[in-house]
Amino acid sequence: MSAPPVVAARSLGKIFAGGAGDAVEALREIDLEIDAGEFVSLIGPSGCGKSTLLRLIADLVAPTSGRLEVNGKDPHRARLDRDYGMVFQRATLLDWRTVARNVELPLEIMDAAGRQDRARHMLDLVQLGEFAGHYPWQLSGGMQQRVAIARALAFRPALLLMDEPFGALDEMTRELMQQELLRIWHETGTTVVFVTHSIPEAVFLSTTVVVMSSRPGRISDVIATGLSHPRNEDTRASQAYYDTITEVRTALRRHDGAAT
Amino acid sequence: MNRASDGIGRDEDIGETHATDALTAFEEALPGGGPRRVGWLRAYGPAVVAFALVIALWEAVTVVFNVQSFLLPRPSLIVERFVATSGVIWLYGWHTLIEALGGLVAGTTLGVLAALATTRWAAVREGLMPFAIAANSVPIIALAPITNAWFSLSSPVSKMAVAAVVVFFPVMINTARGLIEVDPQEVELLASYAASPRQIMRRVRVPHALPYFFSAVKVASALCLIAAIVAEYFGGPDDVLGRYILRQASLLVLPDAWAAILVASIMGIGLYGAVLLVERLAMPWHPSHRAGDVG
Repeated sequence: MSAPPVVAARSLGKIFAGGAGDAVEALREIDLEIDAGEFVSLIGPSGCGKSTLLRLIADLVAPTSGRLEVNGKDPHRARLDRDYGMVFQRATLLDWRTVARNVELPLEIMDAAGRQDRARHMLDLVQLGEFAGHYPWQLSGGMQQRVAIARALAFRPALLLMDEPFGALDEMTRELMQQELLRIWHETGTTVVFVTHSIPEAVFLSTTVVVMSSRPGRISDVIATGLSHPRNEDTRASQAYYDTITEVRTALRRHDGAAT
Repeated sequence: MNRASDGIGRDEDIGETHATDALTAFEEALPGGGPRRVGWLRAYGPAVVAFALVIALWEAVTVVFNVQSFLLPRPSLIVERFVATSGVIWLYGWHTLIEALGGLVAGTTLGVLAALATTRWAAVREGLMPFAIAANSVPIIALAPITNAWFSLSSPVSKMAVAAVVVFFPVMINTARGLIEVDPQEVELLASYAASPRQIMRRVRVPHALPYFFSAVKVASALCLIAAIVAEYFGGPDDVLGRYILRQASLLVLPDAWAAILVASIMGIGLYGAVLLVERLAMPWHPSHRAGDVG
Protein backbone atom coordinates (compact mmCIF):
# COMPACT_ATOMS: atom_id res chain seq x y z
CA MET A 1 0.00 0.00 0.00
CA SER A 2 1.30 3.42 -0.93
CA ALA A 3 -0.99 5.27 1.52
CA PRO A 4 0.81 6.53 4.64
CA PRO A 5 0.23 4.51 7.79
CA VAL A 6 -2.73 5.71 9.88
CA VAL A 7 -0.48 5.92 12.93
CA ALA A 8 3.31 6.24 12.74
CA ALA A 9 5.41 6.68 15.89
CA ARG A 10 9.21 7.05 15.93
CA SER A 11 11.14 7.04 19.22
CA LEU A 12 8.08 8.49 20.88
CA GLY A 13 8.46 9.39 24.55
CA LYS A 14 6.26 10.94 27.20
CA ILE A 15 7.37 12.20 30.61
CA PHE A 16 4.78 13.58 33.00
CA ALA A 17 6.27 16.35 35.11
CA GLY A 18 5.15 15.52 38.63
CA GLY A 19 4.91 17.91 41.53
CA ALA A 20 8.09 18.46 43.60
CA GLY A 21 10.30 17.42 40.73
CA ASP A 22 9.45 13.72 40.57
CA ALA A 23 8.73 13.26 36.90
CA VAL A 24 7.19 10.03 35.67
CA GLU A 25 8.43 8.50 32.46
CA ALA A 26 5.25 7.02 30.98
CA LEU A 27 6.57 6.01 27.56
CA ARG A 28 10.07 5.51 26.14
CA GLU A 29 11.25 4.91 22.59
CA ILE A 30 7.92 3.84 21.12
CA ASP A 31 8.14 2.73 17.48
CA LEU A 32 4.83 1.72 15.98
CA GLU A 33 3.13 1.68 12.60
CA ILE A 34 -0.53 0.96 12.09
CA ASP A 35 -1.85 0.54 8.55
CA ALA A 36 -5.32 1.40 7.31
CA GLY A 37 -7.93 -1.25 8.06
CA GLU A 38 -5.96 -2.86 10.88
CA PHE A 39 -7.37 -3.71 14.27
CA VAL A 40 -4.57 -3.19 16.77
CA SER A 41 -4.80 -3.87 20.49
CA LEU A 42 -2.44 -2.35 23.03
CA ILE A 43 -2.08 -4.68 26.00
CA GLY A 44 0.06 -4.59 29.08
CA PRO A 45 0.08 -4.31 32.87
CA SER A 46 -1.39 -1.26 34.61
CA GLY A 47 0.91 1.72 34.27
CA CYS A 48 2.54 0.52 31.05
CA GLY A 49 1.41 3.68 29.28
CA LYS A 50 -1.03 2.05 26.87
CA SER A 51 -3.73 4.64 27.59
CA THR A 52 -1.13 7.40 27.40
CA LEU A 53 -0.11 6.17 23.95
CA LEU A 54 -3.75 6.30 22.86
CA ARG A 55 -4.12 9.81 24.27
CA LEU A 56 -0.98 10.92 22.43
CA ILE A 57 -2.51 9.68 19.18
CA ALA A 58 -5.70 11.57 20.10
CA ASP A 59 -3.72 14.75 20.84
CA LEU A 60 -5.24 14.89 24.32
CA VAL A 61 -1.68 14.99 25.72
CA ALA A 62 1.49 16.13 23.95
CA PRO A 63 4.63 13.97 23.56
CA THR A 64 7.91 15.05 25.15
CA SER A 65 10.16 13.44 22.54
CA GLY A 66 10.09 11.62 19.23
CA ARG A 67 7.78 11.90 16.25
CA LEU A 68 4.15 10.94 15.86
CA GLU A 69 1.96 11.21 12.80
CA VAL A 70 -1.73 10.42 12.43
CA ASN A 71 -2.96 10.04 8.86
CA GLY A 72 0.39 11.46 7.76
CA LYS A 73 -0.10 14.65 9.80
CA ASP A 74 0.74 16.14 13.14
CA PRO A 75 -1.73 14.71 15.71
CA HIS A 76 -2.94 18.21 16.52
CA ARG A 77 -3.79 18.80 12.86
CA ALA A 78 -5.46 15.37 12.75
CA ARG A 79 -7.63 16.26 15.73
CA LEU A 80 -8.66 19.57 14.19
CA ASP A 81 -9.44 17.67 10.98
CA ARG A 82 -11.59 15.25 13.00
CA ASP A 83 -9.66 12.27 11.78
CA TYR A 84 -10.52 9.99 14.69
CA GLY A 85 -13.42 9.02 16.92
CA MET A 86 -12.83 8.23 20.59
CA VAL A 87 -14.54 5.78 22.96
CA PHE A 88 -13.65 5.89 26.66
CA GLN A 89 -14.06 3.24 29.34
CA ARG A 90 -17.07 5.14 30.62
CA ALA A 91 -19.64 5.78 27.90
CA THR A 92 -19.59 9.51 28.80
CA LEU A 93 -23.03 10.19 27.38
CA LEU A 94 -24.50 13.58 28.18
CA ASP A 95 -27.31 12.94 30.67
CA TRP A 96 -29.49 15.75 29.36
CA ARG A 97 -29.60 14.48 25.81
CA THR A 98 -31.59 11.60 24.44
CA VAL A 99 -29.70 8.71 22.88
CA ALA A 100 -30.26 10.10 19.37
CA ARG A 101 -29.17 13.60 20.39
CA ASN A 102 -26.02 12.12 21.98
CA VAL A 103 -25.13 10.48 18.69
CA GLU A 104 -25.81 13.77 16.92
CA LEU A 105 -23.43 15.65 19.25
CA PRO A 106 -20.25 15.42 17.12
CA LEU A 107 -22.25 16.23 13.99
CA GLU A 108 -23.66 19.30 15.72
CA ILE A 109 -20.19 20.45 16.74
CA MET A 110 -19.04 19.97 13.16
CA ASP A 111 -22.16 21.63 11.79
CA ALA A 112 -22.83 18.63 9.56
CA ALA A 113 -25.99 18.32 7.49
CA GLY A 114 -28.52 15.51 7.79
CA ARG A 115 -27.75 14.87 11.42
CA GLN A 116 -30.96 13.08 12.33
CA ASP A 117 -30.76 10.62 9.45
CA ARG A 118 -27.14 9.95 10.24
CA ALA A 119 -27.85 9.37 13.93
CA ARG A 120 -30.69 7.01 13.08
CA HIS A 121 -28.44 5.09 10.72
CA MET A 122 -25.72 4.80 13.36
CA LEU A 123 -28.17 3.63 16.00
CA ASP A 124 -29.41 0.98 13.60
CA LEU A 125 -25.80 -0.08 13.08
CA VAL A 126 -25.39 -0.72 16.83
CA GLN A 127 -28.93 -2.17 16.95
CA LEU A 128 -30.36 0.45 19.25
CA GLY A 129 -32.73 2.11 16.77
CA GLU A 130 -35.74 1.72 19.02
CA PHE A 131 -34.01 3.48 21.91
CA ALA A 132 -33.38 6.74 20.05
CA GLY A 133 -35.75 8.70 22.29
CA HIS A 134 -34.53 7.27 25.60
CA TYR A 135 -32.27 9.04 28.04
CA PRO A 136 -28.88 7.47 28.86
CA TRP A 137 -29.86 6.49 32.42
CA GLN A 138 -32.60 4.29 30.99
CA LEU A 139 -30.03 2.07 29.25
CA SER A 140 -27.80 -0.69 30.61
CA GLY A 141 -24.01 -0.24 30.69
CA GLY A 142 -23.56 -2.29 27.52
CA MET A 143 -26.21 -0.33 25.65
CA GLN A 144 -24.64 2.95 26.76
CA GLN A 145 -21.29 1.81 25.42
CA ARG A 146 -22.90 0.89 22.08
CA VAL A 147 -24.32 4.42 21.91
CA ALA A 148 -20.79 5.74 22.56
CA ILE A 149 -19.49 3.65 19.64
CA ALA A 150 -22.30 4.90 17.38
CA ARG A 151 -21.43 8.45 18.40
CA ALA A 152 -17.69 7.95 17.74
CA LEU A 153 -18.40 6.63 14.25
CA ALA A 154 -21.20 9.08 13.39
CA PHE A 155 -18.91 11.42 11.47
CA ARG A 156 -17.18 8.56 9.62
CA PRO A 157 -13.65 8.95 11.05
CA ALA A 158 -11.04 6.72 9.42
CA LEU A 159 -9.66 5.87 12.85
CA LEU A 160 -11.42 4.65 15.97
CA LEU A 161 -9.55 4.99 19.30
CA MET A 162 -10.94 2.87 22.15
CA ASP A 163 -9.66 3.10 25.72
CA GLU A 164 -10.75 -0.07 27.56
CA PRO A 165 -14.28 0.40 26.23
CA PHE A 166 -15.59 -2.90 27.61
CA GLY A 167 -13.60 -2.86 30.84
CA ALA A 168 -16.59 -2.21 33.05
CA LEU A 169 -18.95 -4.70 31.42
CA ASP A 170 -19.78 -8.19 32.63
CA GLU A 171 -18.26 -11.11 30.74
CA MET A 172 -21.41 -12.04 28.77
CA THR A 173 -22.07 -8.49 27.61
CA ARG A 174 -18.41 -8.09 26.88
CA GLU A 175 -18.32 -11.03 24.46
CA LEU A 176 -21.45 -9.79 22.70
CA MET A 177 -19.91 -6.33 22.37
CA GLN A 178 -16.71 -7.80 20.94
CA GLN A 179 -18.71 -9.64 18.30
CA GLU A 180 -20.65 -6.46 17.60
CA LEU A 181 -17.48 -4.37 17.30
CA LEU A 182 -15.95 -6.81 14.81
CA ARG A 183 -19.11 -6.66 12.70
CA ILE A 184 -18.99 -2.85 12.71
CA TRP A 185 -15.27 -2.91 11.91
CA HIS A 186 -16.02 -5.11 8.87
CA GLU A 187 -18.94 -2.98 7.73
CA THR A 188 -17.18 0.38 8.08
CA GLY A 189 -13.57 -0.49 7.25
CA THR A 190 -12.41 1.75 10.11
CA THR A 191 -8.92 1.33 11.53
CA VAL A 192 -9.15 0.54 15.25
CA VAL A 193 -6.66 1.08 18.07
CA PHE A 194 -7.98 -0.71 21.13
CA VAL A 195 -6.56 -0.52 24.66
CA THR A 196 -7.34 -3.48 26.91
CA HIS A 197 -5.85 -5.58 29.65
CA SER A 198 -7.76 -8.69 28.73
CA ILE A 199 -5.62 -11.14 26.77
CA PRO A 200 -8.54 -13.11 25.24
CA GLU A 201 -10.21 -9.87 24.23
CA ALA A 202 -7.07 -8.58 22.51
CA VAL A 203 -6.53 -11.85 20.65
CA PHE A 204 -10.15 -12.31 19.61
CA LEU A 205 -10.51 -8.79 18.22
CA SER A 206 -7.17 -7.92 16.73
CA THR A 207 -5.18 -8.38 13.59
CA THR A 208 -2.16 -7.32 15.64
CA VAL A 209 -1.55 -7.35 19.40
CA VAL A 210 1.02 -4.87 20.69
CA VAL A 211 2.42 -6.09 24.02
CA MET A 212 3.75 -3.39 26.33
CA SER A 213 5.81 -3.53 29.53
CA SER A 214 5.95 -1.00 32.29
CA ARG A 215 8.33 1.40 34.05
CA PRO A 216 9.01 2.93 31.64
CA GLY A 217 6.27 1.97 29.19
CA ARG A 218 7.67 0.44 26.04
CA ILE A 219 6.67 -1.98 23.34
CA SER A 220 8.09 -5.41 24.06
CA ASP A 221 6.41 -7.56 21.38
CA VAL A 222 4.22 -7.20 18.33
CA ILE A 223 2.21 -10.34 17.67
CA ALA A 224 0.13 -10.91 14.54
CA THR A 225 -2.84 -13.05 15.53
CA GLY A 226 -3.32 -14.61 12.11
CA LEU A 227 -6.82 -15.83 13.00
CA SER A 228 -9.22 -16.03 10.07
CA HIS A 229 -12.25 -13.80 9.61
CA PRO A 230 -15.13 -13.70 10.30
CA ARG A 231 -14.47 -14.51 13.92
CA ASN A 232 -17.20 -16.07 16.03
CA GLU A 233 -17.82 -18.65 18.74
CA ASP A 234 -15.88 -21.22 16.70
CA THR A 235 -12.88 -18.90 16.79
CA ARG A 236 -13.04 -18.87 20.57
CA ALA A 237 -12.93 -22.67 20.58
CA SER A 238 -10.11 -23.01 18.04
CA GLN A 239 -6.58 -24.21 18.73
CA ALA A 240 -5.06 -21.21 16.94
CA TYR A 241 -6.94 -18.89 19.32
CA TYR A 242 -5.56 -20.69 22.38
CA ASP A 243 -2.07 -20.78 20.93
CA THR A 244 -2.12 -17.03 20.31
CA ILE A 245 -3.43 -16.37 23.82
CA THR A 246 -0.56 -18.44 25.18
CA GLU A 247 1.89 -16.53 23.01
CA VAL A 248 0.63 -13.16 24.28
CA ARG A 249 0.56 -14.38 27.87
CA THR A 250 4.11 -15.66 27.62
CA ALA A 251 5.25 -12.34 26.17
CA LEU A 252 3.55 -10.44 29.02
CA ARG A 253 5.03 -12.76 31.68
CA ARG A 254 8.52 -12.58 30.26
CA HIS A 255 8.67 -8.83 30.59
CA ASP A 256 6.72 -8.68 33.79
CA GLY A 257 9.24 -11.08 35.32
CA ALA A 258 12.13 -9.01 34.01
CA ALA A 259 10.69 -5.86 35.56
CA THR A 260 10.31 -7.21 39.08
CA MET B 1 -9.26 -7.51 34.89
CA ASN B 2 -11.58 -6.97 37.81
CA ARG B 3 -13.05 -3.78 36.47
CA ALA B 4 -16.53 -5.23 36.46
CA SER B 5 -17.29 -3.50 39.74
CA ASP B 6 -16.37 -0.07 38.43
CA GLY B 7 -20.01 0.44 37.63
CA ILE B 8 -20.26 2.63 34.57
CA GLY B 9 -23.92 1.78 34.29
CA ARG B 10 -25.75 4.22 36.47
CA ASP B 11 -28.42 1.69 37.28
CA GLU B 12 -29.40 3.05 40.67
CA ASP B 13 -32.74 1.52 41.35
CA ILE B 14 -35.16 3.99 39.93
CA GLY B 15 -37.96 2.49 41.99
CA GLU B 16 -36.25 3.79 45.10
CA THR B 17 -37.29 7.38 44.48
CA HIS B 18 -40.43 6.88 46.52
CA ALA B 19 -41.80 10.07 47.89
CA THR B 20 -40.96 9.61 51.52
CA ASP B 21 -41.40 13.21 52.47
CA ALA B 22 -43.84 15.91 51.61
CA LEU B 23 -41.32 18.06 49.77
CA THR B 24 -40.51 15.29 47.34
CA ALA B 25 -44.20 14.66 46.92
CA PHE B 26 -44.76 18.33 46.27
CA GLU B 27 -42.08 18.26 43.59
CA GLU B 28 -43.48 15.13 42.03
CA ALA B 29 -47.00 16.47 41.97
CA LEU B 30 -45.94 19.24 39.62
CA PRO B 31 -46.68 18.91 35.89
CA GLY B 32 -44.24 16.56 34.25
CA GLY B 33 -43.65 14.86 37.56
CA GLY B 34 -44.34 11.43 36.21
CA PRO B 35 -47.23 9.09 36.54
CA ARG B 36 -47.01 8.57 40.28
CA ARG B 37 -50.47 9.64 41.40
CA VAL B 38 -51.27 6.62 43.51
CA GLY B 39 -48.74 7.47 46.21
CA TRP B 40 -50.21 10.94 46.62
CA LEU B 41 -52.18 10.34 49.77
CA ARG B 42 -49.50 8.13 51.24
CA ALA B 43 -46.92 10.82 50.59
CA TYR B 44 -48.93 13.80 51.77
CA GLY B 45 -50.80 12.05 54.57
CA PRO B 46 -48.15 12.26 57.30
CA ALA B 47 -47.44 15.95 56.59
CA VAL B 48 -51.12 16.87 56.58
CA VAL B 49 -51.73 14.99 59.82
CA ALA B 50 -48.67 16.56 61.47
CA PHE B 51 -49.74 20.03 60.39
CA ALA B 52 -53.29 19.52 61.67
CA LEU B 53 -51.96 18.19 64.98
CA VAL B 54 -49.68 21.19 65.52
CA ILE B 55 -52.50 23.65 64.77
CA ALA B 56 -54.91 21.76 67.04
CA LEU B 57 -52.34 21.67 69.86
CA TRP B 58 -51.66 25.39 69.40
CA GLU B 59 -55.37 26.15 69.57
CA ALA B 60 -55.86 23.93 72.61
CA VAL B 61 -52.91 25.37 74.54
CA THR B 62 -53.95 28.99 73.96
CA VAL B 63 -57.53 28.26 75.02
CA VAL B 64 -56.80 25.99 77.99
CA PHE B 65 -54.05 28.19 79.47
CA ASN B 66 -55.83 31.37 78.43
CA VAL B 67 -52.75 32.75 76.63
CA GLN B 68 -53.09 36.46 75.89
CA SER B 69 -53.43 37.17 72.16
CA PHE B 70 -50.54 39.66 72.18
CA LEU B 71 -48.29 36.79 73.26
CA LEU B 72 -49.64 34.07 71.00
CA PRO B 73 -53.02 34.41 69.31
CA ARG B 74 -55.23 31.38 68.64
CA PRO B 75 -54.92 30.01 65.07
CA SER B 76 -58.66 30.49 64.62
CA LEU B 77 -58.31 34.16 65.53
CA ILE B 78 -55.43 34.57 63.05
CA VAL B 79 -57.55 33.05 60.30
CA GLU B 80 -60.42 35.32 61.29
CA ARG B 81 -58.20 38.42 60.99
CA PHE B 82 -56.62 37.01 57.81
CA VAL B 83 -60.07 37.00 56.23
CA ALA B 84 -61.19 40.33 57.71
CA THR B 85 -58.08 42.26 56.63
CA SER B 86 -57.42 40.36 53.40
CA GLY B 87 -57.96 43.45 51.22
CA VAL B 88 -55.16 45.34 52.94
CA ILE B 89 -52.65 42.57 53.62
CA TRP B 90 -52.76 41.13 50.10
CA LEU B 91 -52.28 44.58 48.59
CA TYR B 92 -49.31 45.24 50.90
CA GLY B 93 -48.08 41.73 50.20
CA TRP B 94 -48.16 42.49 46.49
CA HIS B 95 -45.98 45.58 47.01
CA THR B 96 -43.49 43.54 49.01
CA LEU B 97 -43.55 40.75 46.45
CA ILE B 98 -42.63 43.23 43.71
CA GLU B 99 -39.58 44.31 45.71
CA ALA B 100 -38.57 40.71 46.36
CA LEU B 101 -39.06 39.67 42.74
CA GLY B 102 -37.14 42.70 41.47
CA GLY B 103 -34.26 41.70 43.73
CA LEU B 104 -34.52 38.04 42.73
CA VAL B 105 -34.38 38.83 39.01
CA ALA B 106 -31.59 41.39 39.33
CA GLY B 107 -29.52 39.27 41.73
CA THR B 108 -29.96 36.10 39.67
CA THR B 109 -29.05 37.84 36.41
CA LEU B 110 -25.92 39.40 37.88
CA GLY B 111 -25.03 36.15 39.66
CA VAL B 112 -25.23 34.15 36.43
CA LEU B 113 -23.19 36.73 34.50
CA ALA B 114 -20.54 36.73 37.22
CA ALA B 115 -20.49 32.91 37.20
CA LEU B 116 -20.02 32.86 33.42
CA ALA B 117 -17.17 35.36 33.74
CA THR B 118 -15.44 33.31 36.46
CA THR B 119 -15.62 30.23 34.24
CA ARG B 120 -14.38 32.00 31.15
CA TRP B 121 -11.42 33.82 32.70
CA ALA B 122 -9.30 32.13 35.34
CA ALA B 123 -8.09 35.54 36.55
CA VAL B 124 -11.66 36.58 37.35
CA ARG B 125 -12.21 33.27 39.13
CA GLU B 126 -9.11 33.59 41.28
CA GLY B 127 -9.80 37.23 42.06
CA LEU B 128 -13.53 37.01 42.68
CA MET B 129 -14.38 33.58 44.08
CA PRO B 130 -12.68 33.87 47.51
CA PHE B 131 -14.36 37.22 47.94
CA ALA B 132 -17.73 35.83 46.89
CA ILE B 133 -17.46 32.83 49.20
CA ALA B 134 -16.51 35.12 52.09
CA ALA B 135 -19.33 37.53 51.29
CA ASN B 136 -21.77 34.63 51.16
CA SER B 137 -21.16 33.86 54.82
CA VAL B 138 -21.65 37.47 55.95
CA PRO B 139 -25.12 38.60 57.15
CA ILE B 140 -25.72 40.78 54.13
CA ILE B 141 -29.15 41.73 55.42
CA ALA B 142 -27.30 44.14 57.72
CA LEU B 143 -26.75 46.26 54.61
CA ALA B 144 -30.43 47.24 54.59
CA PRO B 145 -30.07 50.63 56.33
CA ILE B 146 -27.21 51.46 53.97
CA THR B 147 -29.06 50.70 50.74
CA ASN B 148 -31.98 52.64 52.19
CA ALA B 149 -29.58 55.58 52.35
CA TRP B 150 -28.05 54.97 48.91
CA PHE B 151 -31.33 54.73 47.08
CA SER B 152 -34.30 56.83 48.04
CA LEU B 153 -35.97 55.47 51.15
CA SER B 154 -39.35 55.87 49.48
CA SER B 155 -38.33 53.94 46.38
CA PRO B 156 -38.81 50.17 46.20
CA VAL B 157 -35.37 50.08 44.54
CA SER B 158 -33.69 50.38 47.94
CA LYS B 159 -35.42 47.13 49.03
CA MET B 160 -34.73 45.43 45.69
CA ALA B 161 -31.05 46.29 46.11
CA VAL B 162 -30.83 44.43 49.44
CA ALA B 163 -32.71 41.46 48.00
CA ALA B 164 -30.47 41.47 44.92
CA VAL B 165 -27.28 41.43 46.98
CA VAL B 166 -28.65 38.62 49.17
CA VAL B 167 -29.59 36.59 46.07
CA PHE B 168 -26.41 37.33 44.11
CA PHE B 169 -23.87 35.34 46.12
CA PRO B 170 -25.52 31.92 46.41
CA VAL B 171 -26.57 32.06 42.75
CA MET B 172 -23.11 33.06 41.60
CA ILE B 173 -21.22 30.53 43.72
CA ASN B 174 -23.48 27.60 42.91
CA THR B 175 -23.72 28.34 39.21
CA ALA B 176 -19.96 28.81 38.94
CA ARG B 177 -19.47 25.47 40.67
CA GLY B 178 -21.82 23.78 38.21
CA LEU B 179 -20.04 25.36 35.25
CA ILE B 180 -16.56 24.47 36.48
CA GLU B 181 -16.99 21.05 38.05
CA VAL B 182 -17.93 19.18 34.89
CA ASP B 183 -16.73 15.67 34.16
CA PRO B 184 -13.24 16.24 32.63
CA GLN B 185 -13.90 13.34 30.29
CA GLU B 186 -16.89 15.17 28.81
CA VAL B 187 -14.60 18.10 28.07
CA GLU B 188 -12.05 15.72 26.52
CA LEU B 189 -14.77 14.16 24.41
CA LEU B 190 -15.66 17.57 23.02
CA ALA B 191 -11.97 18.35 22.55
CA SER B 192 -11.69 15.19 20.44
CA TYR B 193 -14.25 16.78 18.11
CA ALA B 194 -12.10 19.95 18.03
CA ALA B 195 -14.94 21.86 19.70
CA SER B 196 -14.40 25.54 20.55
CA PRO B 197 -14.54 26.80 24.17
CA ARG B 198 -17.90 28.36 23.34
CA GLN B 199 -19.28 25.06 22.10
CA ILE B 200 -18.00 23.33 25.25
CA MET B 201 -19.65 26.02 27.34
CA ARG B 202 -22.98 25.68 25.60
CA ARG B 203 -23.18 21.92 25.22
CA VAL B 204 -21.49 20.69 28.41
CA ARG B 205 -21.00 23.38 31.04
CA VAL B 206 -24.32 25.19 30.88
CA PRO B 207 -26.53 22.05 30.91
CA HIS B 208 -24.38 20.64 33.72
CA ALA B 209 -24.80 23.84 35.76
CA LEU B 210 -28.59 23.94 35.49
CA PRO B 211 -29.32 21.74 38.55
CA TYR B 212 -26.82 23.78 40.60
CA PHE B 213 -28.40 26.99 39.35
CA PHE B 214 -31.92 25.89 40.24
CA SER B 215 -31.05 24.71 43.71
CA ALA B 216 -29.50 28.14 44.32
CA VAL B 217 -32.57 29.94 42.97
CA LYS B 218 -34.79 27.84 45.24
CA VAL B 219 -32.81 29.05 48.25
CA ALA B 220 -32.77 32.57 46.82
CA SER B 221 -36.56 32.59 46.37
CA ALA B 222 -36.93 32.43 50.16
CA LEU B 223 -34.00 34.78 50.83
CA CYS B 224 -35.34 37.57 48.60
CA LEU B 225 -38.63 37.75 50.54
CA ILE B 226 -36.83 37.81 53.88
CA ALA B 227 -34.52 40.54 52.59
CA ALA B 228 -37.38 42.68 51.29
CA ILE B 229 -39.38 42.43 54.53
CA VAL B 230 -36.41 43.10 56.80
CA ALA B 231 -35.36 46.05 54.63
CA GLU B 232 -38.86 47.45 55.05
CA TYR B 233 -38.43 47.33 58.84
CA PHE B 234 -35.74 50.02 58.46
CA GLY B 235 -38.07 52.54 56.87
CA GLY B 236 -39.90 53.50 53.73
CA PRO B 237 -43.52 53.73 52.56
CA ASP B 238 -46.13 52.21 54.88
CA ASP B 239 -48.11 50.22 52.32
CA VAL B 240 -45.84 47.18 52.48
CA LEU B 241 -45.95 43.96 54.50
CA GLY B 242 -42.87 44.59 56.65
CA ARG B 243 -44.00 47.98 57.90
CA TYR B 244 -47.52 46.68 58.45
CA ILE B 245 -46.24 43.79 60.59
CA LEU B 246 -44.02 46.21 62.53
CA ARG B 247 -46.90 48.66 63.06
CA GLN B 248 -49.45 46.08 64.18
CA ALA B 249 -46.92 44.46 66.49
CA SER B 250 -46.01 47.75 68.13
CA LEU B 251 -49.71 48.48 68.63
CA LEU B 252 -50.04 44.99 70.15
CA VAL B 253 -52.56 44.00 67.47
CA LEU B 254 -50.78 40.71 67.19
CA PRO B 255 -53.45 38.66 65.38
CA ASP B 256 -53.24 41.16 62.49
CA ALA B 257 -49.44 40.93 62.43
CA TRP B 258 -49.74 37.13 62.35
CA ALA B 259 -52.23 37.35 59.48
CA ALA B 260 -49.68 39.41 57.54
CA ILE B 261 -46.96 36.84 58.34
CA LEU B 262 -49.30 34.19 56.95
CA VAL B 263 -49.48 36.18 53.68
CA ALA B 264 -45.67 36.33 53.56
CA SER B 265 -45.50 32.57 54.13
CA ILE B 266 -47.99 31.83 51.36
CA MET B 267 -46.04 34.06 48.97
CA GLY B 268 -42.78 32.33 49.91
CA ILE B 269 -44.20 28.87 49.27
CA GLY B 270 -45.75 30.09 46.01
CA LEU B 271 -42.44 31.52 44.83
CA TYR B 272 -40.64 28.29 45.68
CA GLY B 273 -43.25 26.30 43.81
CA ALA B 274 -42.92 28.56 40.78
CA VAL B 275 -39.14 27.98 40.71
CA LEU B 276 -39.73 24.21 40.99
CA LEU B 277 -42.10 24.38 38.05
CA VAL B 278 -39.61 26.24 35.87
CA GLU B 279 -36.90 23.78 36.92
CA ARG B 280 -39.09 20.85 35.94
CA LEU B 281 -39.80 22.37 32.54
CA ALA B 282 -36.17 23.34 31.94
CA MET B 283 -34.68 19.95 32.87
CA PRO B 284 -36.99 17.13 31.80
CA TRP B 285 -34.00 14.78 31.83
CA HIS B 286 -33.02 15.28 35.43
CA PRO B 287 -32.63 12.22 37.71
CA SER B 288 -34.94 13.68 40.35
CA HIS B 289 -37.73 13.38 37.81
CA ARG B 290 -37.05 9.73 37.23
CA ALA B 291 -40.52 8.60 38.14
CA GLY B 292 -40.94 6.41 35.11
CA ASP B 293 -40.13 5.76 31.51
CA VAL B 294 -39.88 9.01 29.60
CA GLY B 295 -39.08 7.44 26.24
